[in-house]
Amino acid sequence: MRKTALFAATLVAALAAFAGAGPGPDRDSARAATAVPELKGRLSLSGAWALYPLALKWAEEFQRLHPGVRIDVQAGGAGKGVADALAGAVDIGMLSRDIAPAETAKGALAVAVAKDAVVPTVSRANPFLAEILRRGLKRNEFAAIWVAQTLRSWDELFGRKPGRPIHVYTRSDACGAAETWAAYLGRRQEDLNGIGVYGDPGVADAVKRDPLGVGFNNINFVYDAKTKRPVEGLEVCPIDLDGNGTLDPRERVYATRDDIIKAIAADVYPSPPARELFFVLKGKPASPALAEFLKWALTGGQALVPDAGYLPLGKERLAQGLAAIGGTDTGR
Amino acid sequence: MKRLAKDALARRGMSALAALPGLLVLIIVLGLFLKSRAILAVQPLSRLVFGTSWHPLRGEFGLLPFISGTVWVTVTALALAVPISILTAIYLSEFAPRSVRESARPVVDVLAGLPSVVFGVWGVIVVVPFVGRVLAPLFGASSSGYSVLAAGIVLAIMIFPTVIHISLEVFASIPLSLREASLSLGATRWETARHVVLRKGSQGILAASVLGFSRAFGETMAVLMVAGNVPAVPKSLFDPGYPLPALIANNYGEMMSVPRYDSALMLAALVLLAVVLFFNVLARRILVRAERRSR
Repeated sequence: MRKTALFAATLVAALAAFAGAGPGPDRDSARAATAVPELKGRLSLSGAWALYPLALKWAEEFQRLHPGVRIDVQAGGAGKGVADALAGAVDIGMLSRDIAPAETAKGALAVAVAKDAVVPTVSRANPFLAEILRRGLKRNEFAAIWVAQTLRSWDELFGRKPGRPIHVYTRSDACGAAETWAAYLGRRQEDLNGIGVYGDPGVADAVKRDPLGVGFNNINFVYDAKTKRPVEGLEVCPIDLDGNGTLDPRERVYATRDDIIKAIAADVYPSPPARELFFVLKGKPASPALAEFLKWALTGGQALVPDAGYLPLGKERLAQGLAAIGGTDTGR
Repeated sequence: MKRLAKDALARRGMSALAALPGLLVLIIVLGLFLKSRAILAVQPLSRLVFGTSWHPLRGEFGLLPFISGTVWVTVTALALAVPISILTAIYLSEFAPRSVRESARPVVDVLAGLPSVVFGVWGVIVVVPFVGRVLAPLFGASSSGYSVLAAGIVLAIMIFPTVIHISLEVFASIPLSLREASLSLGATRWETARHVVLRKGSQGILAASVLGFSRAFGETMAVLMVAGNVPAVPKSLFDPGYPLPALIANNYGEMMSVPRYDSALMLAALVLLAVVLFFNVLARRILVRAERRSR
């Protein structure tokens, strides 16, 4: 499975390199023109599930602006994104955690492109749902569930005798969501215990089906893109941020996707589990199509960010990114 | 002269091609060994293979949970698949009317051709809830359903076609006269199937099981989706397991960010290869011995 995917991705990358070698538009003259008519090439992206919906939107819009460019987007976890980008199998790796020093040392260049958050989730069929929504869970309770494994039943959580067990879910693939959730608990992904399920949709599905389950997801796999409410069967497990044992009005930020995004922007919802999302390159962009796509994502493309369910970055952060990829002009 | 030269050329060319697969195995083993030397240099093999703690960031790379996970899942799958497959094959070859047999074959072959992700998705939707809500309470266990048993069931269904197909070929190769002799002595059909057909085809059935086993051992995607992926040695069928192929597939991405991680994964691949080779050689020896005895 993986091998064929890798092979296909390599093939695509090779084709892209081949296409890039042909006579293309001169970069400076292309920048001078307002519309870039002759931009051609193939771009490939792989990695974080968190960035996948946004990357698809960007790819679609960019291909509409530049019909000569083909963009392939694959999801497979943040770790795969970096590994693929460093191996040269894709042009852009999608990353939903901070870049590791070992990865930077191997030549990875990470550019922040948007922000989102990881939220804990429970099934709507959870027998304790009313209590969970009334009081929320504290950070140390999450830690006792995922890390220390001292809190093993839902009844105990609400101060009763041990009864129905908590079914804890985590991600099996190397990913940013688990790394970010672990960071909130002061740990790393490998310290999270629980049933390992593959992929963001996989965890959402497992929690949905399991009334006693608890998991975590990127917000774009929790909220429906159209209704902006949590998807059928899934409920956000609220965090009791100040730990006072009840969910205050300012802590009730989970009703719709817009509410949670507002809470992230206002720093009510903490980082982590909110976090920046990155595009990872192997060194500075080589082909004009790649450079233009990155520049556009940080400028014109940012307009699509809120609609896709993410938080746009601040001007300074965007300017930093543009400087890093070698585009000197900071927006249009 | 020209004809002889052609002959020599054909022989040399083909022998070189024939040597290629064998050489390839050697190259793979060598490559994996070279890559895993980095981890073997800092930790003894015994601690890696028999260690139960998997915490790459702390430099602990115990592979035992994964090795035992692989064995648990594979044994469960074989225990389910082999008896059912053989009984199916006996029915199809000895009892079923011709029309049923002819129409069953393509169905079996289609099952063999389904991509493993399809089995995985089906496993998540059907098998995991079935194990979690029906089977586990039946045995007094609490399980989310993501378990060794779920993986074993999905895997068993994946190896049915292989075992059924080969067993059918084996039974078809048994001369009709043997059956007629048995029946003419007054044996019932079942007695004939048991004492003549099964007996005569036992080696073939063993070979079929070994092929099924090889498929089960290396299967990645479908198992990964239902096994639960918890790096601990399973204690019961309802515990989650974490087979070696799933370990490699899941953590392929983390290779670059943690020191010696890639080396540990290469060692895991080497161990997987070694175990598959070991069982294949073992089965081959049993087969050869059985063949000798039957002569």
